[in-house]
Amino acid sequence: MSSSVLSLEGIRKSFGPVHALQGVDLHVRAGEVHALVGENGAGKSTLMKILSGVYRPDAGKMTLYGAPYAPANPLDGRAAGVSMIYQELVLAPHLTVEENVTLGDEHARYGWIRPRTREVERILGDLGQQGVAPDARVSDLSIGKQQLVEIARALLFDARIVVMDEPTSSLAADDTQALFEAIGRMREQGLAVIYISHFLEEVQEVCDRYTVLRDGKMISTGRVMGTPVSRIIEDMVGRSVDELFPSGDHALGDPLLDVSGLQGRRGVPANVCFTLRRGEIMGIAGLVGAGRSETVRTLFGLDSARSGALSIRGREALRVAWMTPRAALDHGLDLLSENRKEEGLALNLSLVFNLTLSDLRRYSRAGFLQLGKERRDGARWVDALRIRAGSVEQRADELSGGNQQKVCLARLLQQDNDILFLDEPTRGIDIGSKAEIYKLVHRLAQQGKAIVMISSYLPELLGVCDTLGVMHKGRLSAVRPVPEWTEHRIMQFATSGYDA
Amino acid sequence: MKKPRNYKAMLSEIGPLLGLIFVFALFAALTPSAFTSFYNVKTILTQSVIIGIAAFGTTFIIVSEGIDLSVGSQIALTTVIVAAVLNLPGGDPGIFWPLLALAAGVLACTGVGAFNGFVITKFRIVPFIVTLGSMQIVRGIAKWIGKEQTVPTPDNWLTNLMLIDPSPSWLLFGPGVWLALALLVVSAALLKYTVLGRYTFAIGSNEQTARLCGVKVDRMKIVIYGLGGLLTGVAGVMQYSYLTVGDPTTAVGLELDIIAAVVIGGGSLSGGEGSVVGSIVGALIMAVLRNGSNMLGLPNYVQEIIIGAIIVGAVLIDQQKHRLRTAG
Amino acid sequence: MFSRSSAASRAFCRLVLFALIPFVWGCGSSSSDESGADGAAALEIAVVPKGTTHEFWKAIHAGAEKAAAEFDVDVIWQGPQKEDDRQLQIQVLQNLISRGVDAIVVAPLDARSMARPVEAAVARGIPVVVIDSGLESDAQSSFIASNNYEGGRIGGQYLAEQLGGAGKVVLLRYQEGSASTTNRERGFLDALGEYAPDAELLVDNMYAGATMALALQVSQNILNRFPEIDAIFTPNESATQGMLRALETAGRAGDVTLVGFDVNPILLDAMWDGTLHGLVVQDPVGMGYEGVKAAVSILRGGAVPERMDTRTILVTPDNIEDAEIQELLYPDFDRWLDN
Repeated sequence: MSSSVLSLEGIRKSFGPVHALQGVDLHVRAGEVHALVGENGAGKSTLMKILSGVYRPDAGKMTLYGAPYAPANPLDGRAAGVSMIYQELVLAPHLTVEENVTLGDEHARYGWIRPRTREVERILGDLGQQGVAPDARVSDLSIGKQQLVEIARALLFDARIVVMDEPTSSLAADDTQALFEAIGRMREQGLAVIYISHFLEEVQEVCDRYTVLRDGKMISTGRVMGTPVSRIIEDMVGRSVDELFPSGDHALGDPLLDVSGLQGRRGVPANVCFTLRRGEIMGIAGLVGAGRSETVRTLFGLDSARSGALSIRGREALRVAWMTPRAALDHGLDLLSENRKEEGLALNLSLVFNLTLSDLRRYSRAGFLQLGKERRDGARWVDALRIRAGSVEQRADELSGGNQQKVCLARLLQQDNDILFLDEPTRGIDIGSKAEIYKLVHRLAQQGKAIVMISSYLPELLGVCDTLGVMHKGRLSAVRPVPEWTEHRIMQFATSGYDA
Repeated sequence: MKKPRNYKAMLSEIGPLLGLIFVFALFAALTPSAFTSFYNVKTILTQSVIIGIAAFGTTFIIVSEGIDLSVGSQIALTTVIVAAVLNLPGGDPGIFWPLLALAAGVLACTGVGAFNGFVITKFRIVPFIVTLGSMQIVRGIAKWIGKEQTVPTPDNWLTNLMLIDPSPSWLLFGPGVWLALALLVVSAALLKYTVLGRYTFAIGSNEQTARLCGVKVDRMKIVIYGLGGLLTGVAGVMQYSYLTVGDPTTAVGLELDIIAAVVIGGGSLSGGEGSVVGSIVGALIMAVLRNGSNMLGLPNYVQEIIIGAIIVGAVLIDQQKHRLRTAG
Repeated sequence: MFSRSSAASRAFCRLVLFALIPFVWGCGSSSSDESGADGAAALEIAVVPKGTTHEFWKAIHAGAEKAAAEFDVDVIWQGPQKEDDRQLQIQVLQNLISRGVDAIVVAPLDARSMARPVEAAVARGIPVVVIDSGLESDAQSSFIASNNYEGGRIGGQYLAEQLGGAGKVVLLRYQEGSASTTNRERGFLDALGEYAPDAELLVDNMYAGATMALALQVSQNILNRFPEIDAIFTPNESATQGMLRALETAGRAGDVTLVGFDVNPILLDAMWDGTLHGLVVQDPVGMGYEGVKAAVSILRGGAVPERMDTRTILVTPDNIEDAEIQELLYPDFDRWLDN
């Protein structure tokens, strides 16, 4: 491995019971663009955070240019020549391009900043971006140009290895091409680029080699040229669906929810239609940003809709544009937020407050709360879902992730509505809790509720759902029974919008 | 695991009360016996009425992660409106006209509060800016109505509300103190035992969660700011009673004392925390400090320095609470 | 509500303690000195000014201390900082009542608002002497003030003489509700009508406000509005100083005859410079002295007159060097005040 500028060997990292990385190897050579692919949760982000110094590995060793490399923090990593370009840009929008590029490394005399315009221009030129003026305000640039400014910053700090995390997820086609050109130029200058992406066609276009991660392990690595995409997809998803998932039938009944022509404010979702029947668990697969969450949020009245109608239990159609969360709850809809900490829970309030918040009508008379009843019911849910908490008075932020998620679910169960939207119900929780949640979802379906389940973790969708739709750039594919889908077919639609 | 936490929580819940006892004891030890006399206790209680009542309303606003900087101006507006109504042609200082004046003052402030809430929710402008603006606007309106002067009024029963020695002496305390006590009970119950109070906490703790759970956040905020205005209006009537004139320049900066009272009493400027009882304790701490400093003969600037230190200390606590939380 | 913050609250208490210590220390030691010197507890007489920022109140304070030394009593000097803080003056009075001082000498900020606390004091057996400004109450034992109406008349007459009977005149009022200045304004207007019936009054409905900064703004606005003004009368120290400063910033100082009321070093300098033409001066030292003296004689069972006038005198560039005027203008503060 003498040709590797960066070598990671046997990297392990656990977060409590979750084994995020279980001995990962990665070798990156100078002058190559190395794709790191894998499903959400495969461990890519953790690996990159270890590489950049945000986390420290539990075990394993890293070498950079033959020397041991163990960054204590991101600044350390940057000083050693490892720069990260994150999905969310970290620029100061009010400053100019030059001010942003040199931020943190201003050349100054007696406190007066000396311009480095030449240098900044040269770097932008090297990236093929002569058109970007150093004195332009960053907020006036397109997202794509802003990303290039960020790359320029990395280069100013003499980066030798640049890590890009989903760099094209929010780019228009032109900007993507400009980015690829810039990547090509960096390769010519002998830099190594680690390119993380879901979009396999992009990987084929810009990358030289690839490494597939799955479940915290390295599955395969090799040259992109000559490797069929289907092989990479298999490596990404190929695993057995084990007994994690509950079995047992539940009958599908009458249509409960009928959605037609759902159109979001910003074009996502785009003309989504589907029908949900009693007892049905419908999965929605797709990449991050494809519009899965937006679909259910729009239906629930959290995001504003441009148009669309929904009819519940065959009754007359409601206009989605008029929907509010309160109305949705009253019509029998409920939603589990994908973002537990920022939306799902009021973190500094007690467990029981969170549990009953959407249903205080049941726990109040003439505006006055019935605290005793509330607490008794809360305690019942704590027992029923085996939530590990000292008491129902315990604050939500003092619970573990899995228990927090159970509190969120308990709120839905307590509310007892028939149409449930579960957005990433198992994100960030341990395997044991996941299995409990799968069983719960199954039981709800058996009770005749209809469930939409969004997940980025394909096996769970395939294991739990009756039917499945895939989203690509706001559009929803035909919803088909799960047996009609293959993982390959799902990935194909998710990445290309093409349904074979 | 459970027991020590509860013990800790209880200890910290009565923290502001301990602070009050500490400050009171400190002055009791340092000043002549006059400080602990019943008359002086009555004086301190009476002097806490205005800030206290206004702080009840501000507690709701701060718990919902809002702020109202226009409270001082609202109080001035109330005094001027009360005086103006009492001076209306045909007005006489019987029972009815003062009652009408009181209602007009309280209603005006409720309107100002609801208007603040409306602008905040409708145009999505942060409360700090909206109420910074209405602070000036309301002050201006007060000066306009009062023609930039104090408005003298005929003697009437409203001016008896804030007497230290009440006129039927069996009352023990002035009517204002009893009113504050009643409002304390009502506000505390509202915040703790009603859906309104629960929603206030939910919005302040996490507005997104409240929205997800079907809370009509915008409407609730208007109600919360309106309620804040209502209580501020009552405080304004007390201020009128205190001054016995309508004064458009009164209570400049009083909102900061009121916010300080809430924060000292455990209210968190980042929302979701605070209690009405804590806020009145905060108001009492400041009143005891002012009174005690006067007793000791300390000059004004000393009081200002001490109260400033207390405000900073309170914010320090607020921050430390959050630091502990994120760390734990 | 205060969860997990016991450490923080402890830190906070410590902070408060530290903030208090130096003041408490200083105060405690000084009071023990005083009582130690006397042996027996001296009478405590509280003197409450309208504010503490004007030179005028410093002179009152000096007069009060002078009387305190003469009659062997203690003076407690406490008041609001700004001259429009009615609420704070009420609180100060309440706290003094609560403290149980022997007598109160007060210059009420507002003729009505202070009536209640003064009545409360009298009800609790604390006699009150009102100085400087009137009070709409009959609870007080004595009212000692300059004859403000007469002072206004003196100023008005002098201004009329300077004008030669005709010209454009501005009256910048002080503040509504302040009885003393209202009387000065009335006296001024009466004298002006008498001695200069042909004078044209450009403004008489503008108020300078409580501080010099406010007065300056109002004055600048008036000067901008009227490019031709022959003479201006201002009824108190902050209004006079604000107007003087406004004239200076407009480059019209000295061109316009300015007659003011009350005195401070800046105004005296202006008179030497010829930018200020007349000042009606009270005798605040005398007022403070008489106030405390009256309080003492009430406490010792003597009789005091219900109403007592202290002097108002016109100071002009012509008489400013007279010995009598010099003593009035430059009272020996250091002799009576520590600072």
